[in-house]
Amino acid sequence: MQINRTGIGLIAFFLIFGAAFAVVPFLLGIDGEATAIFASIGLIWVVVAIGLALYARRARDKAAHQDQVFRTGIKGTATVRDAGSHVTVNEMPLMSLQLDLDIPGVGSRQVSHREVMPVFAADRMAPGLVLPAYFNPADPGDFILVW
Amino acid sequence: MSIATRVPAVGDAAASLSSFAAAHGLEPVPVLAAGPLTPLLVESGAGRIEPAAQGQLGDGVSGALGRLVYTRNKTFRFAVALTEVPASTPFVPRLFCVRAGRHTRDDEFYGFEARYSRLWTESVALNDRYRIAISPYQDENWLRQLFSPAFVDWLASDAPESFSFELAYGALLCSTEDADPDEAALAGLAAATAAVTRRIRRECEE
Repeated sequence: MQINRTGIGLIAFFLIFGAAFAVVPFLLGIDGEATAIFASIGLIWVVVAIGLALYARRARDKAAHQDQVFRTGIKGTATVRDAGSHVTVNEMPLMSLQLDLDIPGVGSRQVSHREVMPVFAADRMAPGLVLPAYFNPADPGDFILVW
Repeated sequence: MSIATRVPAVGDAAASLSSFAAAHGLEPVPVLAAGPLTPLLVESGAGRIEPAAQGQLGDGVSGALGRLVYTRNKTFRFAVALTEVPASTPFVPRLFCVRAGRHTRDDEFYGFEARYSRLWTESVALNDRYRIAISPYQDENWLRQLFSPAFVDWLASDAPESFSFELAYGALLCSTEDADPDEAALAGLAAATAAVTRRIRRECEE
């Protein structure tokens, strides 16, 4: 997953308005109960913004790691044994794939792999499909599937 | 007594398609259930091209031509042409060359999305008119060969107005944001689709 412009806007919205809700009532000297309510809402929004920002950073780090595996990894193949989905994330299926990996110089292994894909790609995942895969030389269990 | 002559009414896109199909030897099809082959077809829900006509779109290129209409808060109308380039999948699994600023939905605003594409901005000539998205793991050398200077010139200057194309796993969907295409517009879309199909096909053969 990766953050998009809407996501950046959401983080900015929750952060700015959350901070404003938490601080402005104090500055304006509004009575205690109202200030507490606004401050609580504001803090929750700030926490949400921080949570989204951390998730976005984790996604960015993961993407950078995947790009590195693509650039420096061993190219092999992954054959789809089984594919299915029971969950969607933002209208995209979270695919559960059973894969036969063929890693040059290492051997073969079977793994389960989960990945969010757009519908037009998920529709193509069928038993027998052979996809390129790149494996981390230091850890062949760490791989990216090129779909 | 009056003599009635059936003349396609202005604004009658179905009649235009019917006339175009008759004039170019295409077979009319009431509904073509293309399925979720490309992002635009996914956005449309069922991927129904309706009405449609099937047959030769250009030299050596067969496919379907028709209308794609769907509502996602707003109603979106496209003239579309669908062909296949199966040989493209190993070289370029996904290639979306979409008119800059085109919107295909108006009802969902998600902050996170699957990382399945990245923008390719190498061609300055195309950047003004299109947003080109490719797989994060695309071989860019192949892409540079596909986007030859002649192909870039054609896309930038001669492709029909509001033209876009989406290539996903061999399915090529070309489209214009034309709610009410006349025969000339359909002919332009068919010719452009044939040109893009042949260009991708030729590069795959090389």
